[in-house]
Amino acid sequence: MEQPNSTNLFDHLARELICIILDHLLRDDDPFAAKSFSQVCKSFHALESTRRLKLKPRRLEYLGRILKRYRWISQLDLTLCPCVDDATLERLSLAWSSSLRRVDLSRTRLFSHVGVSSLALNCTCLVEIDLSNRADLTDLAAKAIANAVNLERLSLGRCKSITDLGIACVAVGCSRLRHVGLRWCIRITDFGAALIAIKCKQIRSFDLSYLPITEKCLHHILQLEHLEDLVLEHCIGIEDQGLATLQASCKSIKMLNLSKCQNISHIGIASLSKGAQNLEKLILSRSLVVTADLAKCLQSFPKLQLVKLDGCLGTMSGLKGIGNLCASLKELNLSKCAGVTDENLSFLVQTHKDLEKIDITCCGRITHASISSITNSCLRLTSLRMESCSMVSREGFLFIGQCQLLEELDVTDTEIDDQGLLSISRCTKLSNLKLGICLMITDIGLKHIASSCSELKHLDLYRSSRITDEGIVAISLGCPLLEVVNIAYNSNITDTSLVSLSKSQKLRTLEIRGCTRISPEGFSNIAARCKHLETLDIKSCYKINDTGMIQLAQYSQNLKQIKLSYCSVTDLGLIALASISCLQNLSIFHVEGLTSNGLVAFLLASQSLIKVKLHACFESLIPHQIKKYMEARGCVLLWRDKTLEASRWE
Amino acid sequence: MDSNGSLRANPWARSPSLTSAANGLSSDPLSFPGFGLQHNQPKWDGPSNSDYGIRAEASFKEFNQPSQNGSPPPPDSNNEIEFADQENCHPSESSQTNGLQDWDPSVVLNNLSFLEEKIHQLQNLVHLIVRQKGVGQPTELVTQEQQLITTDLTSIIIQLISTAGSLLPSARNSLINTSPLLAQIGQLQGPTVPSGTGVGISCIQPQKNVGKKMSDQAMQTDLPNNCEMEQNYNNVEHDPKDEDDADDGESLAPGSYEILQLEKEEILAPHTHFCTICGKGFKRDANLRMHMRGHGDEYKTPAALAKPHKESGSPKLIKRYSCPYPGCKRNKDHKKFQPLKTILCVKNHYKRTHCDKSYTCSRCNTKKFSVMADLKTHEKHCGKDKWLCSCGTTFSRKDKLFGHIALFQGHTPAIPLDDNTKGVAEPPIQDSKENSKEGNMNNTFGSIPSNGNEVQNVMDVKGNSDDPINYFSSLNFEANFGVFNDFTRPLFDDSESSFSFVMPGSFKSGGESGSDNLQ
Repeated sequence: MEQPNSTNLFDHLARELICIILDHLLRDDDPFAAKSFSQVCKSFHALESTRRLKLKPRRLEYLGRILKRYRWISQLDLTLCPCVDDATLERLSLAWSSSLRRVDLSRTRLFSHVGVSSLALNCTCLVEIDLSNRADLTDLAAKAIANAVNLERLSLGRCKSITDLGIACVAVGCSRLRHVGLRWCIRITDFGAALIAIKCKQIRSFDLSYLPITEKCLHHILQLEHLEDLVLEHCIGIEDQGLATLQASCKSIKMLNLSKCQNISHIGIASLSKGAQNLEKLILSRSLVVTADLAKCLQSFPKLQLVKLDGCLGTMSGLKGIGNLCASLKELNLSKCAGVTDENLSFLVQTHKDLEKIDITCCGRITHASISSITNSCLRLTSLRMESCSMVSREGFLFIGQCQLLEELDVTDTEIDDQGLLSISRCTKLSNLKLGICLMITDIGLKHIASSCSELKHLDLYRSSRITDEGIVAISLGCPLLEVVNIAYNSNITDTSLVSLSKSQKLRTLEIRGCTRISPEGFSNIAARCKHLETLDIKSCYKINDTGMIQLAQYSQNLKQIKLSYCSVTDLGLIALASISCLQNLSIFHVEGLTSNGLVAFLLASQSLIKVKLHACFESLIPHQIKKYMEARGCVLLWRDKTLEASRWE
Repeated sequence: MDSNGSLRANPWARSPSLTSAANGLSSDPLSFPGFGLQHNQPKWDGPSNSDYGIRAEASFKEFNQPSQNGSPPPPDSNNEIEFADQENCHPSESSQTNGLQDWDPSVVLNNLSFLEEKIHQLQNLVHLIVRQKGVGQPTELVTQEQQLITTDLTSIIIQLISTAGSLLPSARNSLINTSPLLAQIGQLQGPTVPSGTGVGISCIQPQKNVGKKMSDQAMQTDLPNNCEMEQNYNNVEHDPKDEDDADDGESLAPGSYEILQLEKEEILAPHTHFCTICGKGFKRDANLRMHMRGHGDEYKTPAALAKPHKESGSPKLIKRYSCPYPGCKRNKDHKKFQPLKTILCVKNHYKRTHCDKSYTCSRCNTKKFSVMADLKTHEKHCGKDKWLCSCGTTFSRKDKLFGHIALFQGHTPAIPLDDNTKGVAEPPIQDSKENSKEGNMNNTFGSIPSNGNEVQNVMDVKGNSDDPINYFSSLNFEANFGVFNDFTRPLFDDSESSFSFVMPGSFKSGGESGSDNLQ
């Protein structure tokens, strides 16, 4: 790093200016920006060390260096490190004791309550901790959390071993809690939930999904003065009868989620949301029958903006009643809601002209009339999901172009054709377009999209089998911001498409599964150029071989997930992949060139693996110690006995 | 009343030893309860101005009722007495194990003659009643007199019993004897200290009672009213927190029952039933009867072996008990006196409240009890179902623990540190303890054996006391807090984004990609 010339032009820049630039870069999503910045010169490097507050390390082998370089980390995301032991947690908690405020350990294993304890005790200003998915953490860990007296946000999703006793400790210790997530903590009952409500009066959001709770704890929860979000998904212990006994009412509540609460009807909702004048969001997915009574019940919420009724059985009168609400909805979800017809949907959208998001997925009875009324009345629409609306004819899609603010459109599995795409191309803000299983669309339609929708980021063309290279080339030229592309099972796709797609610098996810005509040469373009690639599905791209893997290993250092089944990869290619420093998920079945030795070498060499799906035939071939070792490192080996899909080899 | 009746029988049954009791009586001036009574006797008629005969008749009727109802009708009233519950009998017999001193036959004789006279009185009374039977009386008067006489009779009987009790064969050492007598007499006379006024000492309280009773009866026709009164009474007088098992929930108007008070020694006596022949003590009447068989064929008759039937039906006074401990809520002198229902209640109450807890649980070595039954009940649950608070308090039920925690600041449930403490907390917790072992290495409590709960409690409490300090120190961050908040809040909003950090160690490979990036 020694500068041969004494003059460093960057030193002449004002430090304040550089700081502003750096902060901007750090706030950006791009992980490379900060890195490039720090590599400019020594002073930039030093500056970056002091200014960086967020850290998301991929591995912790060089923890010492990290601790030395970054002194002021306040937000630590360890989701890429599957194994963090107690000693590591203690080290970093001591090093950043005065700065660390947020820690995400939701995908991390190995550490125990001792590590949690050192975090809670050393980092006195810790306000947020996520310990989700640790089903083995016990009440001792909860007791350790209780030492973090300033904690405001706590996520314990799926901590199935934590009981009322542990959560009681947390409730007593962390009295400043504002956001508590106890989803799937199935050993926590009314006692624990009620105690949190009694002890932590500052709670803003409370997630009690899947807990065996009843109205007894709700009595205390509804007395919370600041409660805004209450999530009670699949709390089947909550029933109308019990709710009827509730005396308390919560005026501050803004969001109520009662998804999958099958034992609740409009009566229960009414008693639960008694006096909830500020309710904005009501989520009733898969819970009850939409009746006129329910609609009447919704009348009492003047500020209602969002209603989700997906998976509910809708009656005519009920849906019409929703159309008569005094509140003007902004978001409505009626997906898989049986009973939605042209008549009631048209009536509904005519009153709610402010609707921005509509989800009518799988509403099989609606026709182009509904689409016409939606597009005529809801001019502010930004999201329209109408997957599998199979009765909507080709004419229906011609109306969509009227909603020029549209950003998201899902027309998977519909009759849309090139004319429809021409109409959609008027929506210049479109960023997410799903055209999977649209058998009518061709390259002509895609060219319309490519010509005007330059902001497109997500494009799904799964099994839209009439698409060829021509369309893909047009898209990749017209839409430079593409991040997610799915062209799976399009047999017309060849290397030409990949060459053009490889110019999309931002490409993160690419699915070319079943595109059998792709050759190693074509793939090497993607491997070498798309450096941001994180997810790659090349299953059944039979011709792709070790060359592609070696190139991936060389250039795509961000790859996290790859599916390699049925490729012509051998041990060599797989071992090459091991050098990708953040590769976490790998799925590899029926790869002929793979041997157990190669597999073992790969497993041992790749340090960041979390989940590897392998054929069951390897299970007996891999030494027991290796399995143990992988387990200890936090990697799950899944053995699946998948049969060879012979037809693919034709 | 039944117990009193039973005691009455004793003098006859145990006449051979009558003399022995005289000692005790002589030793105490009050040991001649009968005299007082005798003295009062003439005045019975006086204050009430009512016809003596009427009263006598009424009481006679009532007195006979039990025997009429009883299954094996006893030949006379004396017999009937034998069947009664003998609980009250024991006081005079129980504590007579020591001392043959102060044995004066003359006193015994005195006593005997008193008894004789007493019986004559009774006989006269009954005769009067019989004679009066034919005469028509205004029913109201009759019933009133009946009540009065009943109570008068009761007092006589009690005197008799006490005297008789002192004459029991086993009652050789009598000093203690007198105290129960005293108690009984005193109890009867208790509130009517101004006995010198010539009003029947033993009458006054019963009279009061009668009055109450009458009103009660009158009110029974008016049910709702009655209920209301009782409820009110509940509100004022009844303390549900009282620990005793006795008459919680019962609400008798004060004075509507008769109050008996046993002495400490009687309460604590191990045996309550004694063999009149050999003096052996028994806890149960049935055991005594079984024992008696060995003393001769006369005890083997079905009548002798039969279980004493309970008197029923007669509108007798309800009996309630007072605890002899001064100042106790169960003591009759207490402002909010709450009587005890049975003698067993008295015993349990006295032991639980006023005695040392001498029975220690052998499992936990912490819990102590004064009643053996309580210990046995505890031992059934000891060790399991324990919900432990950090303050050391244990609860048998989870909801009680959580109620406690919700109530008190800073208390938390005590969480067992490892498998060693199994049994202290919810059993399933230990099921998934694999990880905790590692942690326990650093833990000083790790080595505490299973019975170290107490120690753990203490430690927990200590930890608790530190809490305020921690809390306080944390407050210092308050100032920084706001600043930090403002600074990092926007960052937090981006927290979903994948802001990956490339390790310094991966610079080699990263360098390439970095240079590519600059293209």
